[in-house]
Order: sequence, then structure tokens, then C-alpha cells
Amino acid sequence: MDIPELKRLERRDVDMHLTWSDGTEHLITYDDLRFACPCANCAPQRNDDNSSKALRRAVESFPKEKPTVRPVGNYALSFVWTRGCSSGIHRFERIWRLGEKQDPDNGKAYVHGAW
Amino acid sequence: MADSPVRVNQPGDAPAGPSPEEQKKMEAAYTQMKRKMAISEMGRAIKHKIMVLSGKGGVGKSTVATGLALSLAQQGLKVGLLDIDITGPNVPKMMGLSGRRLNVESGRIHPAQGHLGVKVISMAFLLEDEDTPVVWRGPIKLGAIQQFIGDVDWGELDYLIIDFPPGTSDEPLTVTQNLPDIDGMVIVTTPQDVALLDSRKSITFANSLKVDVIGVIENMSGYTVRGKAPSGTEIELAAPGGKTVRVTADEEGHWSGTLDIFKSGGGEKTAEEFSVPFLGKLPFDPGFVRGGDDGVHRIVSEPDGPAALAFAEVVAQIQSKVESGSTFGGLEII
Repeated sequence: MDIPELKRLERRDVDMHLTWSDGTEHLITYDDLRFACPCANCAPQRNDDNSSKALRRAVESFPKEKPTVRPVGNYALSFVWTRGCSSGIHRFERIWRLGEKQDPDNGKAYVHGAW
Repeated sequence: MADSPVRVNQPGDAPAGPSPEEQKKMEAAYTQMKRKMAISEMGRAIKHKIMVLSGKGGVGKSTVATGLALSLAQQGLKVGLLDIDITGPNVPKMMGLSGRRLNVESGRIHPAQGHLGVKVISMAFLLEDEDTPVVWRGPIKLGAIQQFIGDVDWGELDYLIIDFPPGTSDEPLTVTQNLPDIDGMVIVTTPQDVALLDSRKSITFANSLKVDVIGVIENMSGYTVRGKAPSGTEIELAAPGGKTVRVTADEEGHWSGTLDIFKSGGGEKTAEEFSVPFLGKLPFDPGFVRGGDDGVHRIVSEPDGPAALAFAEVVAQIQSKVESGSTFGGLEII
């Protein structure tokens, strides 16, 4: 998937404002970002309706805070929170899909070890 | 009550210090912080960092990585060679550093100096003897790689060449995640279809990690047979695949013909297919095998020989690519 390069990420109180190299701008709420966590613990929870709703409730219950953002190589970002899961490595493609209001998992159920 | 683990502070007592467990955690956090600072410093002190990968084993990746390091050092550049092949480290043998042990002083690892002043770090320096296998699962390998990245005192370097085990697993992934400002990957292949198939995976792997592919090197590309015969003699060489190579002895009676033992041109085709640069062909040279075994690389034993010249051409291409700057731009996080 070819996407523009992420040039700017502004952390705001409840969401982040992203600017991409082609001028596209996205707003992604921290709740949406945390719900879309791709880690091996969070991702399988989105495979099932009940656990998915529980995950949504859990991320919405956390205090709203600005995360620490760390680049992972050239291909992803990680977000560190004071509470909840900080394990996910969010590839830029996933962040782009989130910004475009698309399913970052692309409709695929999580399978351990595949990415 | 003297042996009780419970201690009640009395007014005027000094505040209790951290428990041994807390102390351990604090020390681990401090080590991690120091490592992160060292890695960030390393990003500045080492001008160019190049990963050498191949999809398939046995394509001569360590020989190529060593050759690239030596060829750069031949130009008078300051070069480091990090052998991250944890289970099969053989760079020290090729650099005449067999039997060396890891030199650790004040918590920092100091590289050994190989031929032409190339600084070398390898897992082999940790092994009791050459026959000891490393039987580690992923997370332990990951920790060792992070130490090799963060705890080594490389000093100022122009180039750091990183040699990996074959494939696209833990080792290259960990390095791309931890080492800042990597210039790119060099993919080594041999011309046969099986190796090319795996090289394509390596290119896709680099693309998915947003690391530049500096280019593809075709190793073991053609074996040159030489001989003498009366001037003007036409000689037919039976080449692989039922082909015939015809050569003619020159005025002094010398003749030479190149046989494509593992086919030829596949590396160039793969590079074209994936729109990445083709860096050149390195000839099949039995001298590499002898040189590797004797601890004297062909570039060191014959600095003006055909192998050294072939490496110099490849290195010139790599330098022109990496010194023109990376395609990955900065991300502003506020």
C-alpha cells in the first residue's frame, strides 16, 4: 500500500492532528488509536464482538492523556501511555487507514505471528 | 526479633533505602537509559550504516560484507563491521581475529581491530570455542543485539557495515527498530532462481520497513578460467547448460573465458523488476574460500587483484548512493 510520508504529528488533548506529505490532514482520537492497538494482546480482542466491545470500554475508561510518541525504525510509531497497553507498533499504513476512517485491520482477523 | 524482615522506622531514623528488588529495577532502568543515550550518540558518530542481507544462506554474504568493509578501509575511511549472525558468526575468521575474546572496560564493549584497521564486533568473541553452538530463543537474541548496538564503543566511523544471518527475521527487524538513521540495505544474491526468489523477499522486507534498498549485488557471478596456448589458438570451453564458450589465445598466448556456473544476470533482472539499483557482479573466486579459511581476505592479499577491483566498483556505487542522502525525511512530533 503506497501512502504519503507522515511529516507532522501534533498531540492535542484528546486526539492527534496528522499532516502527510501530500497535504492530507487527519484527526485521530486517542481512543480510536488505542482501540486499534496491533499488539498480540489487544488485536485478538477485536476478532469477537463481545471482547471488542470490552476493549472499547476499557480504552475509553482510561484518563485522557497525551502519549509519548516514539519512531520505530522508519516504518512505524509507538505510543507510550501511563495506563493501559503501550506495546503496539503502529505501522504508518495503519495510522493512515485510521485517519481515513477505514478498518486498520483491513477486515482481517488477527493471526498470531502474521503481519 | 533481630532477624525479622519487618523494620519499623523510629522517629529520627534515616529514611529506608530502596529494597534490593527496587534497586535492581532502578539499575535496569539506568542501564536502559544509558543504552538509549549511547544509541542516539551512535547515530551522530557513525556517518553511514549499511545492512548486508540475503534471503538465502550460502550466497557469500559474510564474504561480501567483509569485502565491502575492507574496500572502504582501503580508501582510508574509518570502518566498523558488526557481525550480527548470532548462531553462525564467521566474520572474525575472515578478518584474522579467530580466538579473540570480547574486550569490556568500564561497562563498554571495545571492538577488535582487524585488517586495514577495520573495527570488528562479533558474537564469536563471546564463545568459549568455535564449536560451541548458540542455542537462544528470540528474546535473548534481541537482548544481545541491543547490547551490540548500544554498548559498543565504536568511536567515530565513516561506515558501519552490519552482516546478518540469512532471512528476514528477528535480527534485521531488531536492528531496524533500534539503530537510528540506517542508510539502507544491500541485498546479496547468487544468480540461480532459488536465491533470486529469496532476494525478492528481502527487497519486500526492506520496503515494508521503509528502509532504502541501496542495491543488489550478484555474487559468484561467473568463474573465469585462464590458460596458455599458442597465439591465435581457438579454444572451446564446455560451459554449464550445454553451452560452449569460444576463446582465442592472444599474442602472448594467454586466453581466458568466463563460465556462468550459477547462470548470470539474475541479480540485475531482480533489481530491475523491483526498481532498485544493481550494484554489480562479483566473480566466483576460489581465492575467497582460501582467504576466508586463512584469515586473509582476497582484498588484503591482492589489493590490486580482480576481486579487489570488483569490490571497489561496487563500493563506489554504494558511496554515490548513500552520500547523496537518504530518501526518508524527518517527522516533526509536537
